[in-house]
Order: sequence, then structure tokens, then C-alpha cells
Amino acid sequence: MTTETSPATFDSRKRTILGDFREIFGDFWAYRFLLYQLTLRDIRIRYKQAIMGFGWAILMPLMVVGSGLIVRSAMAYLADQPFASEIIAGVALKAVPWSFFVSSIGFANQSLVRHFSLVTKIYFPREVLPLSAVLAGVFDSLIGGVALLIVLPFLGVDFSWGLLWIPCLAVLLICFTVAAGTFLACMNLFFRDVKYIVQVILTFGIFLTPVFFEPIMFGETGAQIMMLNPLSPILEGTRLGVVEGHNLFTPLISEAGTVVWQPWYLAYSAAWAIPGLFISLITFHRLEFLFAEYA
Amino acid sequence: MSDVRIKVENLWKKFHRGEIHDSLRDMIPSLAKRLLGKSPSRKELGEGDFWALREMEFEVKAGEALGVIGPNGAGKSTLLKVLNRILRPNRGHMKVEGRVGALIEVSAGFHPDLTGRENIFLQGAILGMRREEIANKFDEIVAFSGIEAFIDTPVKRYSSGMNARLGFSIATSLEQDVLLIDEVLSVGDWRFQQRCNERMEELVKGGAAVIFISHNHRAIGSLCDKTMLIRSGQKAAYGPSGDVIREYLQGSTESNAGADAPVHLSRVTLSQDGTEKWDFSPGDEARVDIEVKASTQQKGLVAVLFVRNQAGHAIFNTSTNGLTDTVDLEPGESHVFSFGLEMHLARGEYHLGAALHEKATEQRIDTIFPAATVHIHSNADVGGTCQLYPKLLTD
Repeated sequence: MTTETSPATFDSRKRTILGDFREIFGDFWAYRFLLYQLTLRDIRIRYKQAIMGFGWAILMPLMVVGSGLIVRSAMAYLADQPFASEIIAGVALKAVPWSFFVSSIGFANQSLVRHFSLVTKIYFPREVLPLSAVLAGVFDSLIGGVALLIVLPFLGVDFSWGLLWIPCLAVLLICFTVAAGTFLACMNLFFRDVKYIVQVILTFGIFLTPVFFEPIMFGETGAQIMMLNPLSPILEGTRLGVVEGHNLFTPLISEAGTVVWQPWYLAYSAAWAIPGLFISLITFHRLEFLFAEYA
Repeated sequence: MSDVRIKVENLWKKFHRGEIHDSLRDMIPSLAKRLLGKSPSRKELGEGDFWALREMEFEVKAGEALGVIGPNGAGKSTLLKVLNRILRPNRGHMKVEGRVGALIEVSAGFHPDLTGRENIFLQGAILGMRREEIANKFDEIVAFSGIEAFIDTPVKRYSSGMNARLGFSIATSLEQDVLLIDEVLSVGDWRFQQRCNERMEELVKGGAAVIFISHNHRAIGSLCDKTMLIRSGQKAAYGPSGDVIREYLQGSTESNAGADAPVHLSRVTLSQDGTEKWDFSPGDEARVDIEVKASTQQKGLVAVLFVRNQAGHAIFNTSTNGLTDTVDLEPGESHVFSFGLEMHLARGEYHLGAALHEKATEQRIDTIFPAATVHIHSNADVGGTCQLYPKLLTD
């Protein structure tokens, strides 16, 4: 039988940051099958007894693309410019990660409250609840992503090494989503008004995130302000890397001389995602013992 | 690993009475309070707080079962939640070694839209089982639960008994070093309960450390060598199960009004021929003495005696109102109301309660329940509540 280091053995005496991380990742490892089962369950119930079936995974990005087309064709009309198919490709590329973020945050945010009876009755590392919500969202996005890859060549996008930016940026996006989702899930458990605030932010967030448009449309200063949103560099980077074939490690200056991209935008997003992930996991873990009392 | 699987040292857990602020708006004043240092620390009682567990201290070794009994709200389930890491203690330490399993809400993880098969894997994973472990135990789990025919049916179409049986089968199939059980044996039919008892005995013999909470004293007595009695969050007694259960049933329950009240019920005793007794056969004569103490002058007191069955249903009550005159007491005086009862009850366990009324105002002044617990023993094949002395007629 295992001794001290086993996650199964619990001693209420010890508590250090390093110990907490060992506990968190030890628990994740010990409960990896639970993580898999919960994700599988979320996917199963989403596609079981549903009219849409797997179409559900494409519906939300499709709606985003549709709305984007309306916005962009109106803009093209006003600016008296031709409506290029590259615009559709750009919007579609950003619609998938945006839909992923919105739906994952929505599910993760509610994950603890929804599993009230589990949280108050059975011990297991509660981190797996928001994490599995995000993982189910990853699965949905994979379907959306495959559909997107099929459509992209018809929108005039040539596949290049630029496609490799997608997995890199996806990892960053997933880290950021897990960080935000985990933090919100535990806030939502303590304060029931958090879910309304999150709903409002997610609804109007599409205007503060470059999904329908490019930040550069707001001029150089405007673009920089928009890039303060940690999601902006991830979404815009995907478009620049895949559609325009730009190397994100180098700056991009437009013909008019305005700065479109700076490599440190990426570093900025990463600075939110990675430390954010650790801070939110440790916060979650430290508050975990209160969940059953407040739920 | 040492022999001791559960070690609890001077454990305290506090709860809050009433509402906890649960919106951001409410948090701001409380945060401000905390910053100004006006909020109490985790280790002290604040306004509206109370100790749900106090000075808990015990240990359970491998292959040992500890029974936990006590009235509702005494803190039994809180103790289990602390041991199960769902709640964190405010003071003290505990150490639980090895893999912990809990039989509390055994089907809490089920998703109604998933089939029994899918739910076995899900619930197993929630309880900390690995894929191979569940796959190996799968047939055993299904067989024990007895729902082979419905294993590919969504559990939303299961009856509540089937649900609980499946949950129990999953939970007990786990190989644990520590098993926490909270009153789960009330599920399923009689045969299933029988099998559950056998399964738990196997687990203890297999070297698990078990903590067993139940109101079913017979089940505690047969499974556990030692029992702990909890009252108001404190260890009130600890020792061999028979002795502790006896002590609990003797009815040292405090009266509702408390000893500081101007008048209160101070003692209820059950006896036969001058010796205290709790085991009777149907038809036996029993004597119930209800002692009342007063610290101020009292007029027109009436004593009420009532009996409830194990399910808590009132099955009998009487009072001194119709039998004698009321009683008046001077300050410092006490009085004993004595009832003679013929115990025409069917076999089983019954709880006696006593109450004190004031005749003029018809107000209840005090109650003690359960004041004593009676066991009725009988070999006759009689069930239910009363003894009607059946006999077979041959004519």
C-alpha cells in the first residue's frame, strides 16, 4: 500500500503552495479517468436525444459567421469596397475559437452549482468539474475546426505552414479558458449573481473582441486598446497566421505604415493564460474546502 | 502503513446559523469587516456561529468498525463529511490513511439520461476507481444490484429502489482501506438489506476500517465492536457497542426546557418490579416514573406519556389529566408521576416520551423525547404495532 505521497492519504496538517500544486496535479492524475468520464458524459448528453446531433457543434460558429457576414458586408458597402472572400475566411477562423470560449465559460461557470449534490456529498477533486466542461467544449470545437478546414480552401485560403499556428494558439486559448472558467466556477458558487455578470459580459464581449472585424480598423491606438483583451491577440493571430501567412514572431506593418501586429501581443496573452491558470487553480484549491458549506 | 487508518485529534467544526451572504453586493461589507480585523478567525466562534463538532477524538484501526449513534442533528453526518474531506475542520487534526470510500448518497453521480452501464463507469470514476478496476468488477456490480435486464436502459426509467441498489453495488465493489457509511441500509427490500449487511461484514473482515452511522441499533451492534455516542457535537460515550447503545437508550436525553427552567422534567425511568429495564415481552407490566422539579411555585401540572414506533409515528399517548388531579409544586419541590403500563406491543423497538403541561393555560412546558427506548422481544410471528394475541382456530 502507498504511504504519505499517495493522493489518497490525507493529513489536515500540511499546507504549502508547492504542496498544494503537488496535490492538485496528483489528484488530476489519480482522477484522470473521472476527468475522461465527465467529459464523455457532457458530450454524450449533448448529442443524445438531440435534434441537432453533431450539427450542434457547428451551429454556434455558423451563427457567428453569419452575423459577421452581415456586419462586414454592411461595412464594405459603406466604405464602397469590394467584399472579399478572405473576409469570410477571417471571420470563420475567429468564430470557432470565440464559440469555444463562450460555450466553455458558460458550462464551466455553472459546473459547480449544477453538481451541487455531488459537491456536498462525495469527495473528489472538484477541479475536474470546470475542467471537463472546457474539455467537452474542446471536443465541439474539433468538429467545428474540421468543418472549417474543409471550407477554407474554397474561401481562397492556401494551406501553408501558417496552419501550425492554430494548435499553438489553441493551447494558449484553452489555458486561458480553463483559468477563467475555474475561477468563475468557484466565484459563482459563493456569489450567485456572478452568473448574470458573466452572461452579460459574454453577450457583449463580441463587440470588445475582434471576431467580426480587425482591430486595425480602429486605427493604431484603437487597435492597441483592443489588444488589451487577452483573447484579441489569440483570435487575430489565428487570422494573420493562417489567412495572411504572417509569422507571428515578427512585427507586421501595413502599407499605410500602421502597426498591425507586434510579437509581444502574443506574450501578453500568454502572460494572462499561464500565470492565470496557476493562480486560479491554487485559488480554487484553497477554497475547495468551503464549497460544501456554501453550495 | 501503520495499523491506524483513521486518527482524529481534538477536532472542532463550526457552522453558521442562518443565511450566509451569497451575492457580491453582500460581500463588500463583510470584506471590509475582515480587512478591519473585526471578523472572527476560523478558529473562533463569530456571531451566529456554533460548534457542530467539539473535541472529537478517536481512532479506527484496520479491520475495525466503529458505530456512531446519537440523536438527529448531533453532528454524526458532519463528522463523516469532515473525514471524507468534504468539510474542513476549524481546529484540530485528522489523518485518514489509504483509499477512502463513502456510502453516502450512493447514486449522487448518476446522470438520468445515461444508461445503467454508462453510469456504472461514471459513478465508479467519481468514487475514484480506474477504468480496469470498474471493467473487472462490472459483472459483479451488475449481478449484486440485480438489474441485469435494465443495464442498457437510461436510469431515469429506474425505480428509486433500483437506483439505490445500483449505487450501493458500485460503492461497495470498491476496494477501500477506509469506508464511511451513513444510514444507507434503509434502501432496497429486505433481501437486499440482508446482502448489504453481509457485504459490509466481508469488508471489515477484509481489513477495511469502517465508520458506520445508523439509527438501526441492531445493525450497529452486529457489525461494530465499538460505538461512539455523539450528543450536541460532542463525544458523549465511547466503548463496546452494547454498553453505549444501552446508555443511549436509557434516555439520559436532556429535556427541552433544560435544567435551568423554573420547572422541568428531570428524569424518566422505566422499570419492572423495582429494577430498571428496557426489554419486555408483549403483555409485561412496566412502570414509568416521570420526575418533575420546580424552582418556583407551580400550579396545575399535568404529565403526558407517549409512545412512538421506530418510524417516529405516535402510536399511544396518555396523561395524568384524566387519571388524577393536577399537581402543585412549591419552590424546590419535586414530584414523581408514575404510570403502570401493560406492554401489549408487537416485537420491535419503541421510544417513550414524556411531556409536561400546565392545565390552566393548556401550554406545553417541557418535553423529553426519546426518554427511553423499549425493546419488545417475542418469538411469536407478530408484526406491526400492537399485539392482538392471534391463535389458530380449528373449529
